Amino acid sequence: MSTAPTKEENEEPQEEQKNEQGDEKTTLEEDYSVPFKPLVTLDEVQVTTGEEEEDVLYKNRAKLFRFDKQGSQWKERGTGDLKILQHKDTKKIRLLMRREKTLKICLNHYVNPSIQLEENVGSDRSWVWNAIDYADEVADECVLAVRFPNSEQAKKFKQAYDDARSALEKITEVSLNSSQEKEKEETQTKKEK
Amino acid sequence: MASHFQTGAQTDGTNVPTFKIILVGDGGVGKTTFVKRHLSGEFEKKYIATVGVEVHPLKFHTNRGPIVFNVWDTAGQEKFGGLRDGYYIQGQGAIIMFDVTSRITYKNVANWHRDLVRVCENIPIVLVGNKVDVKDRKVKAKQITFHRKKNLQYYDISAKSNYNFEKPFLWLARKLVGDPNLVFVEAPALAPAEVHIDDTYKAQMEAELQQAQNVALPDEDDDM
Repeated sequence: MSTAPTKEENEEPQEEQKNEQGDEKTTLEEDYSVPFKPLVTLDEVQVTTGEEEEDVLYKNRAKLFRFDKQGSQWKERGTGDLKILQHKDTKKIRLLMRREKTLKICLNHYVNPSIQLEENVGSDRSWVWNAIDYADEVADECVLAVRFPNSEQAKKFKQAYDDARSALEKITEVSLNSSQEKEKEETQTKKEK
Repeated sequence: MASHFQTGAQTDGTNVPTFKIILVGDGGVGKTTFVKRHLSGEFEKKYIATVGVEVHPLKFHTNRGPIVFNVWDTAGQEKFGGLRDGYYIQGQGAIIMFDVTSRITYKNVANWHRDLVRVCENIPIVLVGNKVDVKDRKVKAKQITFHRKKNLQYYDISAKSNYNFEKPFLWLARKLVGDPNLVFVEAPALAPAEVHIDDTYKAQMEAELQQAQNVALPDEDDDM
């Protein structure tokens, strides 16, 4: 352990002076701690959000919940910006959310066109849906809910989500058709052989 | 790697600096609820006394890379205390928590501090007053002076409303890394896996969805 740069006794008179001067003004956030020798030296890093290749289709502040099946109750997952993101190349669309302040991920899964948003009993500003979520980087088969500040914002989210679903359906149709054509071609070539 | 580690910092095998943080304070002040809030986002209302100690790794992404705090969430209740000194050994940072709605928990801060510094001589310590969302606050801001005498950092927090809930860890990170301007940054959002849902699975999911739909979300009056 490193040695203390200053002894408490030396520090005290100074501190008290400061307190007397600005007792009313000082905020409780003021740092009264003694200098401390850091335990590590770390270089600044380039921050990558993982969202660089995506377009933001939708963004709004919301509160996310996860259903605790055993306890039959909802548990909070986080409050922050809920986003619908579309990848520029693959066109895949995902739901992503980070908790405010700590910026940790609490929601991360692709939009599945067959999954619809459903209502939650007694709320006009919430939606419930099934998901296999990867917020913690492992598959979590869960039921999620999101609540918005008001019903207007909740409606807008549903609109954006449903738009994403239909956009994905179109993409799937196109790729299905092309893969079917490919199959045809393949069987054709096989026959020819 | 240009980063180098001096004495005290552990790495977790992937070269992420890891620190032992001790969390103490009277029983019921909200230590476990605070940790759970950081771990899963949940806000636990039920009080289940912690027995002994529970260690939870909390990863934070900063502008100086990721760091991990192994938070030693200790039993606040005397009868569940266990090997207290043993928990404190090699602590690299600490949070002493009290409840601003309970004067006795603030009075006891002195005891927690004394026990802590007996084992951990010179570590950064944050004092936090939890439950500031409660209307009937008993320990007023003006009365909180212990941190000045002992050179600690202080924060009002609310695990319920999230008020300042990141500050204790942010301050500890700044001290341990030695950068007063360190900030939390976005955790990288990796691409999720693509999943195929078959019909049997879908039926099961639908049943679970229906069950969840019929349970109201908590705190519907919450204005966010």
